Amino acid sequence: MNFREWALIAFTIFAQMSVGAFLILGVVHYYASKKAGPEEADRLSDRALIAIGITLGLGMLASLFHLGSPLSAPRAVSNLATSWLSREILAGVIFALLGVTFAAMQWFKLSSIRNRNIVAWATSLVGLALIYSMARVYMLPTQPAWNTLATPLAFFVTTLLLGSMALAAAFVANYAYVQIKNPGCADTQCELLHGVLKGISVAGIVLMAIELIILPLNMGYLASGSPAALNSVRLMAGTFGTLQALRLVLVFIGAGVFGIFLYISAEETGKESLMGYLAYSAFALVFVAEVLGRMIFYASHQGIGL
Amino acid sequence: MAKQYAFHFDASVCNGCKACTIACKSKNALPVGINWRRVYEYGGGGWIQDANDPSIMVPSNIHAYAMSVSCMHCENPLCVDVCPAAAITKGDDGIVLINADQCIGCRYCEWACPYGAPQFDEDAGAMTKCNMCVDLVAKGQNPECVNACVMRALDFGELEEMREKYGTVDAIEPLPKSDITNPALVVTPHRHSQPSGQGSGRILDMEEV
Repeated sequence: MNFREWALIAFTIFAQMSVGAFLILGVVHYYASKKAGPEEADRLSDRALIAIGITLGLGMLASLFHLGSPLSAPRAVSNLATSWLSREILAGVIFALLGVTFAAMQWFKLSSIRNRNIVAWATSLVGLALIYSMARVYMLPTQPAWNTLATPLAFFVTTLLLGSMALAAAFVANYAYVQIKNPGCADTQCELLHGVLKGISVAGIVLMAIELIILPLNMGYLASGSPAALNSVRLMAGTFGTLQALRLVLVFIGAGVFGIFLYISAEETGKESLMGYLAYSAFALVFVAEVLGRMIFYASHQGIGL
Repeated sequence: MAKQYAFHFDASVCNGCKACTIACKSKNALPVGINWRRVYEYGGGGWIQDANDPSIMVPSNIHAYAMSVSCMHCENPLCVDVCPAAAITKGDDGIVLINADQCIGCRYCEWACPYGAPQFDEDAGAMTKCNMCVDLVAKGQNPECVNACVMRALDFGELEEMREKYGTVDAIEPLPKSDITNPALVVTPHRHSQPSGQGSGRILDMEEV
């Protein structure tokens, strides 16, 4: 695997993580506002917004290293009529611009809550369009291993799974920061944290289960296809079988086992530091698992023909 | 039908000498690792035990032939559709060209093309590909690979003319099926050729191409 493919892995993983985190953050903010009012919800989520922006920035920077002529990157949106790659880049740029606008409005409390919500909704929709076009880029008729429903499904699952796990870690870090000023679990932030982490751990378990179902179904489908598709299955399960197994074990432990412990520890108050360790570890394990999965994705495609 | 230049390849006479590859490389000053025209040796079969006397091995379905492949200047070129920089265009004469100044070097066309035509030039940071020797064609001459073929296995002309002369076969192993991109190609099959998608052999000289 060469440096160019590393650039693609970094771009797709970071972009998906930031879109997923933005979407989940919207849900969390809605829940927190209902429960404790907009100010407490902002206290919970505003710092995470900055982390999402940095993640997306890193991803987009990495994507430049994939190009033979990085300085010509702006020309990548020249073929919107037929190229999903052009559409992906455009969606990425619009998502970044809207996201930065929203983050600025939210951070400095500019305009009304209603207007901020409109921008957040627009950002979310463009984020979904970004993940969809990202999947369509790989669905080429000449690449059977990529040209299946599993590509968009897996991309959306990775988006939401990495997004949730990253947010869990961000909330825990934010809480630790808030605690420096105001120790003890007596305030609303602590209650919100417990509620949110319970929700995220359930979401993580469900998404992990979906991921574990998609993979064998897709491999079974490919195994009955063209010789090129069959070669891809041999790469996914044979040549990269060890990495594949490691990836599945890591995501199972991270989102599954640690998810259950995270849920249990979030049920009781006074377990905040344990919750922290669990959330950080779950995120780290799922992140490594998703990077391994994406490495296998790029390494196992086999074009038809020559 | 719009004007469409095309290659004809006669698999029944090609002896796999690679003069076409070398002529192309020389004419276009291609760097090491880039070959706009390549010759694949395709074959299969093996030796099996004789039914009457298991101590004797007899040949079974042994076959091999050469396939010279360049850009097919497809009627429905996937590379043109997917290029995000709109750097690949299909001209009025059907020739598909890469504009190296417009190319950003993302290598997406490499994934899309089932013929291995677009190849990446590391030093230029851009994709390169067979241009059907547009300069020679403009002067009414044949592309250099056609001129160089010692077996007269390559021919060049308008697609309709090639089809009248040589038939309509456009996909034998190891080429992909033609329904994805509609290649501007006419093949005269070798007596052992198998239709695309039904091959029992494999490319035997992958390290050479």
